[in-house]
Amino acid sequence: MKLFLALLCGLMLAATACGCGQSGKEANTIEVWHWMTDRQDAFEVLARKYEAQTGIKVKLALFAPSDAYTQKIIAAAQANILPDVYSILDKKAIVAAFIKAGFVADLTDAFQMDNNAWEKSLFTKAVDVNRFVEGNVDGVKPGIYGVPIDVGSQQLLYNKTLLRQAGITRPPATFEEWLADIDVLRRAGITPFVSGFGELWLIDCFASNYAFNIMGEQKVFDTFRGKVSYTDPDWLRVFTIFKTLHDRGAFMNGIVTKGNKLAEQDFAVFERAAFTFNGAWSVHVYRQMRPDLDYGVVPLPVFNPALPMVSWGGAETSLVVNNLSPDKDKAIAFLKWLTAREQQVFLFTHLYSLPVNREAMAGVPENLAAFSRVMETSTHPKVWPVNEDPLVSEAFLKGIQAIIIGEKTPQAVARDVQLVKDRQIEKASQP
Amino acid sequence: MGFNKYQVQHFFRNTLLHIFLLTVTVSCLFPIFWMIRSSLMSGTTIFTDQALIPVDLNWHNYVVAWTRGNFAVYFINSLIYTISVVTGIVVIASLAAFAFSRLQFPGKNAIFYVFVAALMIPLPGSFVPLFVLMNKLHLVDTRMGYILCMINVGLSLSILLLKTFFDKMSPDLENAARIDGCNQLQIWWYVALPLAAPALAVVVIYNSLNVWNEYILATVLLSNQDLMPLQRGLMVFNGPYQVDYPVLMAGLTMTAIPVIAIYLLMQKHIVKGLSSGAVVG
Repeated sequence: MKLFLALLCGLMLAATACGCGQSGKEANTIEVWHWMTDRQDAFEVLARKYEAQTGIKVKLALFAPSDAYTQKIIAAAQANILPDVYSILDKKAIVAAFIKAGFVADLTDAFQMDNNAWEKSLFTKAVDVNRFVEGNVDGVKPGIYGVPIDVGSQQLLYNKTLLRQAGITRPPATFEEWLADIDVLRRAGITPFVSGFGELWLIDCFASNYAFNIMGEQKVFDTFRGKVSYTDPDWLRVFTIFKTLHDRGAFMNGIVTKGNKLAEQDFAVFERAAFTFNGAWSVHVYRQMRPDLDYGVVPLPVFNPALPMVSWGGAETSLVVNNLSPDKDKAIAFLKWLTAREQQVFLFTHLYSLPVNREAMAGVPENLAAFSRVMETSTHPKVWPVNEDPLVSEAFLKGIQAIIIGEKTPQAVARDVQLVKDRQIEKASQP
Repeated sequence: MGFNKYQVQHFFRNTLLHIFLLTVTVSCLFPIFWMIRSSLMSGTTIFTDQALIPVDLNWHNYVVAWTRGNFAVYFINSLIYTISVVTGIVVIASLAAFAFSRLQFPGKNAIFYVFVAALMIPLPGSFVPLFVLMNKLHLVDTRMGYILCMINVGLSLSILLLKTFFDKMSPDLENAARIDGCNQLQIWWYVALPLAAPALAVVVIYNSLNVWNEYILATVLLSNQDLMPLQRGLMVFNGPYQVDYPVLMAGLTMTAIPVIAIYLLMQKHIVKGLSSGAVVG
């Protein structure tokens, strides 16, 4: 019994001692919360450099994975203890909710100072991802509410060695050329295409690029608004692209269950497929996995030559400033410094991330630069005036997976998606 | 020399049983073997070397995992959290279970069902309210806050397990202790707890594993990186785009050692705790 009482007392003492240590924010310090594990070391170097230059300490706190980070940000917002700089890894509607709650600073004045010097130094499309335009559906005061720190886009990557083996001399520019290449590769015993189509967002990028190319932005947005049906011939063409690729044997077996990290291994390490669809970060991944991989990067082959091939792209990562922070101005100054040429070159050199600052592009190798060349024609769900209902999107993407494995026809998927769409429209119209 | 049909039956039954047990053993041990094997490879050979035993053994991964993952700090933190939380759970849950099982007080069943119902709430669903509550108590970003939350997480199942055990304890033992002059607290300490050793072993191992492997709640509640548990160190090697597999596996191997040690130490009690319970005392 005495032992128990001693144990209990010991526990209480230990717990009391453990309880000590909650510290307030240090003076002259900017707190940054991020989730990018692979960037922590480089960020630490920059933080020390910033402190040496300005005397302001940058305290970096890493919270990964991104799901846990998102939970932390939501919890911290509810408890009103957000740091000076953080990210909102969610849809634009959630960003809007944070802005309307007063948790995100309007950076428009800072961007437009000195004749828009800061804004002009960055890729426009990357800044646009953080911009709320006049009359936006979220009802946010127009302005720029975040700072992009790098950019990216999704492109078609091709293995030059495998293409050469099959006798293909240049990458395809049109969908017809791509189909011809796929036939040649199949005859040579080479799997034509792999991608992480087990992750729905990659299918979303791929399908959206073709949707924009086939029918143009306006018709896509009109579909989201419910004015155009998914059974429209143009949408059937989008679905049929996947059917055609399936029928030609383009897809690697198991592609719809494959995560992107496994697809990257298939493409880069084992060279099991000639083409892949991936983002700008893959250049760094492939460099680590297989430094001698001989590959190139091109936009997806055009289906409709009358319209441009628009790629998903823009800011890869954005940070926002806490509007309630007493060190708001210091935080903005730090982000301005972080996106300046010198720091962007440092980040590119250490992480192979694509700089958001145009002036930092000199020296970026060809394969990485290829991802930035489409930047001015890129698009992103965060800049769209309207977004599709999540349930419709899910039906759309899962339907495409069903086409890829030969389970459903494009017509059946189009009907299924439209059914969900009709249901959601009806639900939305109810008071 | 001939065999009778019973010997043949016995032989086949034994052989089948051993094949089955061997299969289960291999399927349990192979992932651990693969983890250790992968921890000894390089970033390139992990994808290319298909041999069971790597040609070049890269022990340096363990040094990298320990230093880059800041394991020295996180190991101590995880030890503090595991010991404090498990001790807290054992003390509170055994007292509560004993009370639910042996004492009569108003609303006993209702309170017990509330505890059991708490099992239905998934941990992620309670993150935000927990964080807000801890913030109000000024316990966010403190060890104490995290320990209290984790004790709370483990209580429901532990109370349920121990109550079931105490329910089967013979009232004669309790009466005998009372005749010897024990009060309720002494009966709990001198009679109930020693008898519940197998169930306590299950509670200890289950909660130790739970706390040792927990990370998400720590991420939400703690901001000071020096207070983070061991799993935080592993995250360093698991980037959003890239995973340093060999170093991650080295880190995982080091992380798994204490858990395996606890399991081996308490193995006898765990098996007894899971299989016994029909007769107590």
